[in-house]
Amino acid sequence: MTTLTQTPLERRYARLGLLLIAPTVLIFCAVIIYPLVSALYLSLFKVFTPTLESSWVGLANYRELLASGMFWSALVNTLVWTAGTLTLQIVLGIGMALVLHQNIWFRSLARSLILFPYFISTVVAVLVWKWVFNDLYGILNHLLMQAGITNMPVDYLGSMPNAMISVILVGAWKYFPFVVIAVLARLQTIPEPLYEAARIDGAGPIARFFDVTLPQLRDVLVVIIMLRAIWDFKEFDLIWLLTGGGPSSSTETLPIVVYRQAFALNQMGMAAAWAVSMMAILLVFMIVYIRKTRDKGAV
Amino acid sequence: MANVDFRTVVKSFGTFTALHGLDLSIKSGEFVALLGPSGCGKTTTLRMLAGLEFPTSGDIIIGDRRVNDLPPGERDIAMVFQSYALYPHMTVAENIAYPLKKRGVPKAERGPMVAKTAEMLHLTALLDRKPKQLSGGQQQRVALGRALIRDPKVFLLDEPLSNLDAKLRSQLRAELIELHRRLGRTMVYVTHDQLEAMTMADRIAIMEGGNLQQFAPPAEVYARPANRFVAGFIGTPGMTLMDGMLVQSGNGWAFETEGLRLRLPRLIDSAKPGAAAFGIRPEDVHLGSGDLTGEVVLTEATGHETIVTVAIAPGVRVIARIPGTPALRIGDRVPVTLDAARAHVFAAGPQGARLNHPSGTADADEAFNIATPLRVASKGVLS
Repeated sequence: MTTLTQTPLERRYARLGLLLIAPTVLIFCAVIIYPLVSALYLSLFKVFTPTLESSWVGLANYRELLASGMFWSALVNTLVWTAGTLTLQIVLGIGMALVLHQNIWFRSLARSLILFPYFISTVVAVLVWKWVFNDLYGILNHLLMQAGITNMPVDYLGSMPNAMISVILVGAWKYFPFVVIAVLARLQTIPEPLYEAARIDGAGPIARFFDVTLPQLRDVLVVIIMLRAIWDFKEFDLIWLLTGGGPSSSTETLPIVVYRQAFALNQMGMAAAWAVSMMAILLVFMIVYIRKTRDKGAV
Repeated sequence: MANVDFRTVVKSFGTFTALHGLDLSIKSGEFVALLGPSGCGKTTTLRMLAGLEFPTSGDIIIGDRRVNDLPPGERDIAMVFQSYALYPHMTVAENIAYPLKKRGVPKAERGPMVAKTAEMLHLTALLDRKPKQLSGGQQQRVALGRALIRDPKVFLLDEPLSNLDAKLRSQLRAELIELHRRLGRTMVYVTHDQLEAMTMADRIAIMEGGNLQQFAPPAEVYARPANRFVAGFIGTPGMTLMDGMLVQSGNGWAFETEGLRLRLPRLIDSAKPGAAAFGIRPEDVHLGSGDLTGEVVLTEATGHETIVTVAIAPGVRVIARIPGTPALRIGDRVPVTLDAARAHVFAAGPQGARLNHPSGTADADEAFNIATPLRVASKGVLS
C-alpha cells in the first residue's frame, strides 16, 4: 500500500537507505549468521578435529549430551558461578559506586583506580591471584597463618568448595568495576531535589536509599544484570586459567566443556552441539534483556 | 501556625558570602514572598529555613524553637520544589502519603487523609497514576498535596510556578491564594516573578546581593520603594530612573540632569546637595499638556493600554503609560508632564536610599499646591 503512494523523492531516499545499510547487513551475515548456521550444521555431524573427517549423525550428539550427567553438572557449575559472581559484582559495585559518589578526598583518583581490575588483562590478573592463592608460598596463607587464623595452609584452588569460591571471588573482583561505572553514571543523574524532598518528608539515609536511589537505579541495574549474566555465563578464560575446570570437574562450566570437546577430545561435532545447547540457554537471557530494553524504549 | 525569625543570619560558601546578616520576622499565618533577581540570596534563605543548608552564623527560629541544629524532617515544615521532586516510581496516592508513612502514621489512617487532600486539589481521579503521566500543573498539585497532608507549621515554596505556562500559572496562583486563606498557615514563597509576589503576598521581602532591601506590603513596596534598587526592580514597565545632581533651589530642592531642571517635593532633612537619582513611574508621566516637550521614540500597545517612550531631553527618556490606544506615532512631538508630587528621589549609587519625605506623597502635596500638580520647569528643550 505505502509503496504505491510513494513519491519519486521518497523512492530515491528508500534506495539510498538500502544502499547505506547494505554493507552492514553483509558484514552481519558474514560474521554472525554464517558462523551460527555453520555451528548448527556442524552439530549434526561427528567430526574428528585434526582431520575434519566427518559423518552425518543427525541429532545423536544432542541425545548423547543430554543423557550424560556431564552436561547437567556443567550446567549447575555454570549457574552457581554466574549467580555467585554476579551477586557479588552487583553488591560490591553498587556499594563502591555509592562511596565514590560522595564528596570524599581523592575522589577522581579513587574513581580511576577502581577501574584497574577491569582493565587489566585476564592472564595477568589470574597469574597474580594464583600467586596470592598458592598453598605453599602464597601471601594469603602466609597472612592467615601469621595472624593465627589457621595453622595449616588452605588449598584454595585444588579442593572443593574452595575452588568454586575462589573463582567466584576473582570473577567478582575482575568485573565489579563495570557495575561501578554504570551505577555511578546513573547516580550522578538522580535529581538532588528528590533527596531533599525525601529529607523534608522525614526519610533517613536508609529510607532515602530504598525510596529514592534504588528505584532510580532500577533501569540501569536491569541492563547491567542482563549483560553481566550473559558475559559471566560464557566466561571461559578466567576459569580455565585459574583452575582449568578442576579439581576433577568441579569448576567445569559449559564453555570449558566446549573447549575440551573440541580441542582435547577432538570431537568438533560434539563441541558444536554443546555450544548450540549453551546458546539456547543464553537465548532466554537475551529474550528477557530485549524485552526489558524494548519496554523502556516504548515509554 | 508559627512565626519565623531570621536573626542576623550569615551564610558563606567558602569565600563567597551569599547572605550578609539577614534579619527578618515573619508573622504567624503570614504569606511572605522572597523576591529578587538570580543570586540575591532568596533561595539560600529558604533552603536554610528548610534545613537543606546551614547558616554560618545567626539564628533561625520557627515558633519558639531555634531550628539551626534540627534536620529538615524535624522542623515541621513542608516544601514545594520548582521541579516538583515527585518520586517517579510511586503513584500520586503514594507520593502524597509518603510523608505520613515516614512519620509512622498507620496505613488505615493514611487512606482517608490522602482522599481528603486529593479532593481539595482535584486529584481524586489521578490517584493511581504515575507522575510522568501527569501534566506540569497536575504534578505541581501533587507536590502541593504532599506538602499539605503533613499539616506543617510553615509551608516553603521554591518558585513553584516557574515551570508552568502562563495560563496555568495564573490559575495556580489563584488556587494558592485561596489555599492560604483557607488554611491560614505561614507561607514563605520564593520567586523572581514580581507579579506573583505582588498578587499573592501579604508582605514582600526584596533581596539583592545577599541583603534585604525592603520588607513591606506590596502596595507600599510599589508606592514607596526604600531604595533605588527596589524602585527599579518593582513595576512593569519599570520606573524611569535618571542620574543627576540634587541642588538647593530657594527653600526647596531641584534635580538637574542633562538639559533638565526639575523641582522636587519635600525631601528628608538629611538630604544633601550632590549626586542623586530621580525616578518616576509610567503612570505618573502624562502626555498632552505640560511645560516639557518630548519626542515619541517607541509605542507598545497592549490593547487596554499603551506604553510610550518619550525623549524629553538629549539622552533623557521617560516611559508613560497611557490608557487605550492613543493616536501617537514615532517622531510625534507631545507636551509632557512629570507629576513631581509623585516622583521618587534616591541617593546616588545602585542601592541609594530614598530621600523623599517618609510620609510620602500626602506630605509632599502639602508643600505644593494640590490643585495643580507640580509642573516641571525645563531649561533646555530637545536638541
